[in-house]
Amino acid sequence: MGSERTEQLRERALRELHEASSQEDLARWHARYLGRRGEITQQLRELGTLPAEERPAVGRALNELKEALEAAYESRERQVRELELAARLRAEAVDVTLPGRKPSIGTLHPVTQMIREVTDIFAHLGFQVVEGPEVEYGYYAFDALNIPPEHPARDVWDTIFIRSEQKEIVLRPHTSPMQIRVMERRKPPVRVVVPGRCYRYEAVDATHEWHFHQIEGLAVDERITMADLKGTLAEFARQLFGRERRVRFRCDFFPFVEPGVDFAIDCMFCRGEGCRVCGGSGWIEILGAGMVHPQVLRNVGYDPDRYTGWAFGMGVERLVMLKYGVPDIRYFYQGDLRFLEQFDRIPV
Amino acid sequence: MKVPMRWLRELVATDLSTEEIAERLTLAGLEVEAIERIGAHWEHIYVGVVERVEPHPNADRLVLATVDAGQHRLTVVTGAPNIAVGQKVALALAGAKLYDGHSADWRLVTLKPATIRGVRSEGMVCSEKELGLSEEHEGIMVLDPDAPIGMPLRDYLGDEILEVAITPNRVDAFSIVGIAREVAALTGAPLRLPELAPLEAPVDPTLATIEATDLCYRFVGVALEGIRVAPSPWWLRRRLQLVGIRPINNVVDVTNYVMVEWGQPQHAFDRAKLRGGRLVVRRARPGEELETLDHVRRALSVDTLVIADAERPVGIAGVMGGLDSEITDETTSVLLETANFDMLSIRRTARAQRLRTEASARFERGLDPNLALPAAQRAVRLLTELIPSCRVIAFVDHYPHPRRPARIDFPRGEIQRLLGVDYPDDVVRGVFQRLGFSVLSERTDGRSVWVVEVPTYRSDVTIPADLVEEVARVVGYDTLPERLPVGQTVPVEIDPELRLIRQIQNGLVAAGVHEVITYPMVDDESLRALSASGEEVPERLGFYTRPPIDFVRARNPIRPEWSIMRPTLIATLLRNAAEQLKFNDRVAIFETGKVYLPRGSDELPDERRAVGCLLAGSATLRDLYHEERPVDFFDLKGILEEVLPRLGVRPLVFRPLAHPSLHPGRSAEIVHHDRTIGILGEVLVTVAERFGIPPQHRTVVAEFDVPLLLESGIEPVTVRPVSRYQPVEQDFAIVVDENVPAAEVEAALRAGAGPLAVSIRLFDVYRGPAIPEGKKSLAFRVIFSAPDRALSEEEIQRLRERIEQQVKRRVKGEFRR
Repeated sequence: MGSERTEQLRERALRELHEASSQEDLARWHARYLGRRGEITQQLRELGTLPAEERPAVGRALNELKEALEAAYESRERQVRELELAARLRAEAVDVTLPGRKPSIGTLHPVTQMIREVTDIFAHLGFQVVEGPEVEYGYYAFDALNIPPEHPARDVWDTIFIRSEQKEIVLRPHTSPMQIRVMERRKPPVRVVVPGRCYRYEAVDATHEWHFHQIEGLAVDERITMADLKGTLAEFARQLFGRERRVRFRCDFFPFVEPGVDFAIDCMFCRGEGCRVCGGSGWIEILGAGMVHPQVLRNVGYDPDRYTGWAFGMGVERLVMLKYGVPDIRYFYQGDLRFLEQFDRIPV
Repeated sequence: MKVPMRWLRELVATDLSTEEIAERLTLAGLEVEAIERIGAHWEHIYVGVVERVEPHPNADRLVLATVDAGQHRLTVVTGAPNIAVGQKVALALAGAKLYDGHSADWRLVTLKPATIRGVRSEGMVCSEKELGLSEEHEGIMVLDPDAPIGMPLRDYLGDEILEVAITPNRVDAFSIVGIAREVAALTGAPLRLPELAPLEAPVDPTLATIEATDLCYRFVGVALEGIRVAPSPWWLRRRLQLVGIRPINNVVDVTNYVMVEWGQPQHAFDRAKLRGGRLVVRRARPGEELETLDHVRRALSVDTLVIADAERPVGIAGVMGGLDSEITDETTSVLLETANFDMLSIRRTARAQRLRTEASARFERGLDPNLALPAAQRAVRLLTELIPSCRVIAFVDHYPHPRRPARIDFPRGEIQRLLGVDYPDDVVRGVFQRLGFSVLSERTDGRSVWVVEVPTYRSDVTIPADLVEEVARVVGYDTLPERLPVGQTVPVEIDPELRLIRQIQNGLVAAGVHEVITYPMVDDESLRALSASGEEVPERLGFYTRPPIDFVRARNPIRPEWSIMRPTLIATLLRNAAEQLKFNDRVAIFETGKVYLPRGSDELPDERRAVGCLLAGSATLRDLYHEERPVDFFDLKGILEEVLPRLGVRPLVFRPLAHPSLHPGRSAEIVHHDRTIGILGEVLVTVAERFGIPPQHRTVVAEFDVPLLLESGIEPVTVRPVSRYQPVEQDFAIVVDENVPAAEVEAALRAGAGPLAVSIRLFDVYRGPAIPEGKKSLAFRVIFSAPDRALSEEEIQRLRERIEQQVKRRVKGEFRR
C-alpha cells in the first residue's frame, strides 16, 4: 500500500505545485514537501518504522518521488519567475509617446556654420585661415588695392569712415585689405582664406546689409594661373552646393585684379532652366575673383614678372541664403532665436 | 544704361537674337541685368489714320472717329480731346490687351466691343498709358506722320531694351555706339557708325577760350544760325523716351541724342544771350553764382570749373547748363559746346553740388577727348537734317595735346602665364583686330613681344594683363580649363585664437547656449546705460575698462545708435536679449565677436576677440519633469565651470567683484593663474531695464577676453592612471562662520585630503536649529582612491584627522558631529 500512498502524495504535491503562482507559494510548497520538515523528508525519516521487507520498495518509490518533485519544482520555479518578470514588465510599461527629458543644446549662428564649412574646404586644399582688422587704414582698404582716392571705382564701396586726424581710417568694406597685409608679412608661396565682418554705408533691405561677412581667398606663387582659379573654385562650389554643379566665369571689373571675373554656378533650384532665384538666367553668381593686379603685387614688393596670383571674395550671408533658401538677409542680425534655432545641426 | 535694340541693330548688323546678344555682352563683362520688352503684349493693335471725326449724337464730350487701318476700318467712340483728322494713331481692335487708363495701378484688361451712349464702338484709339508706354492718359498717342497704315503696332513701335550695367572701367561702352562696337567685336558682325557732317565753316578761335588748361583738354565750339526751335520729330522723341530722357525741343533733344548715341555730353547755348557771343572755360571766381537749368541758384566754389561768357558763368562744366542761356522758342543762334574735362574735377563738383547728371556720370569716368569732334559733327548733321534753315557759320577745335593711341609691349607668353592656357597666334590677332587694336610689330629678344596699339577710347587697356583679359573675354572663359594649383605645398597652421574660439563656440553650444551675431556698434547712450545711475559712461564696461581717450567713432554713422565701435559685448547682448524676450521665455545666448579699444587718433584700435554670454528669463521651462525656474548667477557660473576647464583653463577662482553694471552681491571676477580673465554677474535690474528687459526678468552675463585666456595658459590634457582598487566615499559636514566662502572651505578640505582625494563635491549647505546662529554647515562628499592599493581604515582615519586640522586652521571650521 506504500506505493498507493506515494502515488496520492505525488498527485497532491504536483497539483499544489501547479497551483503555486508566486515565489512565496513555491517556497511554502517546497517547505511542505521537500524541506527538512517536508512530508517526503518526514516519510523517508520514518522508513525505519516500516517492516524490513517493505523498506527497499517504499524507499525507492520515495526517492523517485523526491527526484521527480525536485525536477517539477525547478521547472515550475522557472515558469513562475518568467511569469512574474512578464507581469512586472507589463506593470512598468510607459507611454513611449510622452516627451523625453531633453538636455539643452545650443545652435551655432548660420554665418559661423557657413564660415566653418567654407574655410574647412579651403583648409583641405592647403589654404591657411587668417583674420585681420575690421577697422582699417584707407591705404589697405583702397590705395594698395589699386583704388586711388576719388577714383570712380571707389563709389562701388560706400564706406563708413572712422574719426581720425591725418590718416584715413575706415570700417573695411571688404576683406580684400588682408590680401595686402598677408603679402606684406609673407613671401610666396601664399595660400590663405580670410573670413570676417565687413561694413558698408548702405540702406538695409531684403538683400543688403550694412554689416555682413566676407571670405577672401588669395594664392600667390610662381606658376599660379587662372585655370587653377577656375578649378579651385569649381571644386569649392561642388563641395558646397553639390558635385553636379556646372560653373561659369564671366568678365567683370575689380580694380585689384586683372583679368577679373564673376564666378557663377548653375542654379540648383531650377538646374539652369531659369527661375525666380537666378533671375531667369539659370546662373547664380556667388563671388568675384581674378588674377592679382601687377600693381598690387608691386605695392607689396612682389615682382610681378616672377609671381602671379589670384584672389576671390564672397559674401557669406548670400551663400547661406542660397544654400538654405533664406528669403531675407535681415534675419541674420535681428538675433531672433526663432530663426537661428532652425540651423540646429550639431557643429562640425 | 538702357539700350534699345532697334537703335543698336541700326549700328551693328547681326542676326543674333536679343537674348543671344545679351548673353554675349554679359559674359564679356557688360552685364545685361534685364531685358525690357516694349509691346510684347500688343495684339490686334494697328497703325491707323483718322479719316473723320463727328460729334457723338448723345454726348457732348465724346466724338465718333473713323479710323482706317488698312484691313480694318472702323468707327470708334472716344473722349480724347486731341484727336484730329489726318493723325496717325494706334487702333486697338476687340481682343486687344490694354492697360486700364483710369486705374492708378497697371492693370491689363481685354478690350471688348461696347455700346457707349447708344453708339456701338468696335475698338479704341489708344493713349500711351493704355499701351503701357508712359503715365500719359490725357489724350491719344499721336504717331509719326510717316507711320505705315495697317502695320501691327508691335512691328512699328515694339522694342526690346537692354538694361546694361557699365563697370567703372568701361566708359567706352557708355553709349549705343560703344555697345555696338562691343557687339561687333564679340560677334564679328559689321559695325555701321552713324553719319557725320564735316565741319566746313571758317575757324574762329575767339568762339571759345580755355583758360583752365589743366582741367579742360579739348573744346569744340560750333556756331549755328538759322535755328528754328520746335518739338522734335516723333522718332527722336520716342528714342529719348525709351532711354529715359524727357524730350524738350529739337536743339536740346539733339544734344541728348548724341550723348546717348556717342557717350559725349554736349551743351547748346542760346548765343544771343551770351555776353560777347563767346565762351570761356575757367574756374569760378570768388562769389560767383549760377542758376542752373533745374532752377536752383548755386554758389560756385573757386575750384568749380565753369563755362562762362565774357562776363559770368553760364554753365557748370560737365554737370549742368545755366538757366539764363538755355534754348527757348525764340532762340535762332546757337553755340554748341562739345568738350572734354578732367574727370576728378567734374566728380568733385558734382558731389559738392549734389548734382549727378547724365553728363557728369559720363565725364566722371574719364571720356576719350577724341570723341568730341565726331560728336559735334553728328550733332551738326542731325540739326541740319531737322532744321533745314540751320547752318554752321564758324567753329573752333581747341585741342592742345591730342591724345594718341597707347602702345603696349605685350610679351606673347603672358596669355599662357596668366591664364594657364594659350591660343594660336591667329586667334589672338583676330581678337585684337575685332577690338580695333593693331599689332604694330613683333620683337623676339629671347621671348616674343608684340607691340599692340590700342585706340584711345579703350583707355582702360594699358598693361599686358589687360590685353590678356581682352583675349580671354572675347574668346570666352568657357575655353579655360579647370585645374588645381601646382607648386610648393605650404604648411597650414591653425591660428591658436581661431581654434580656441571654435572650441568656445562648440562648448557653449553643447551647454545649451545659442550663438548670436550682433551689430558691433553702440552709441554713448547705451554705454551710459551700463552704469547704475545711467548718467555717465561707467569706468568698467563689461570685462573691459573705459579707455582714457574717445572711443572708436564713425564719422558718418548710418544711424546715431551705430556710432561707436563697441568697447564691450555686454551692451549689444543686452539689446539682443530684450528682443529675444519678446518671443522666448528662456534666453541663453552668446557671441564671439570683437571689442574695439582705441589706441589714439591715427592708430588702428586694439581689436580684441571677446566672448559674451547672457542668460535671461527662465532657466528651465515647466514640463513633465521640471518646474519653471528663473535664471540666476549659478546657472551661468555652472556653464563656465563646465566649459572653461574643458578649454584647458583650470583651475578657476571666482572672487567677489564690485562692478558698475552688476549686482554687488552677485558678481564675480574669474581668475586663472592670478590673472583676471573675465567677469560674471547678475545685471542690475535698472541697467537691464534701460535696454528693454522687463524688470520681472533676471539677467546674468559673463564676458571674457580671448587673448588673455591664451596668455594665461592652456593646460594640456594630462592622463592619470586609473586605479584598479575600490575607492572610498566619505562625507564631511563642516561648520564655519556664515561669511566664509565655500571655496575656502573646499580649499582647506583639499589641502588636508591631498592627492588621494580624486573628487570633492559640495552637496549641501545647511543653516538652522541644529547649528549655532551665524554659522553654516557645508556638506562635502569626497572620494578617496590610491592608484596602487586599497585604502585601509587607518589611512582613511588619518586623512580625516588631517582634513580636520586644515579646516580648523584655515577657515576655523569644525566637523559637525
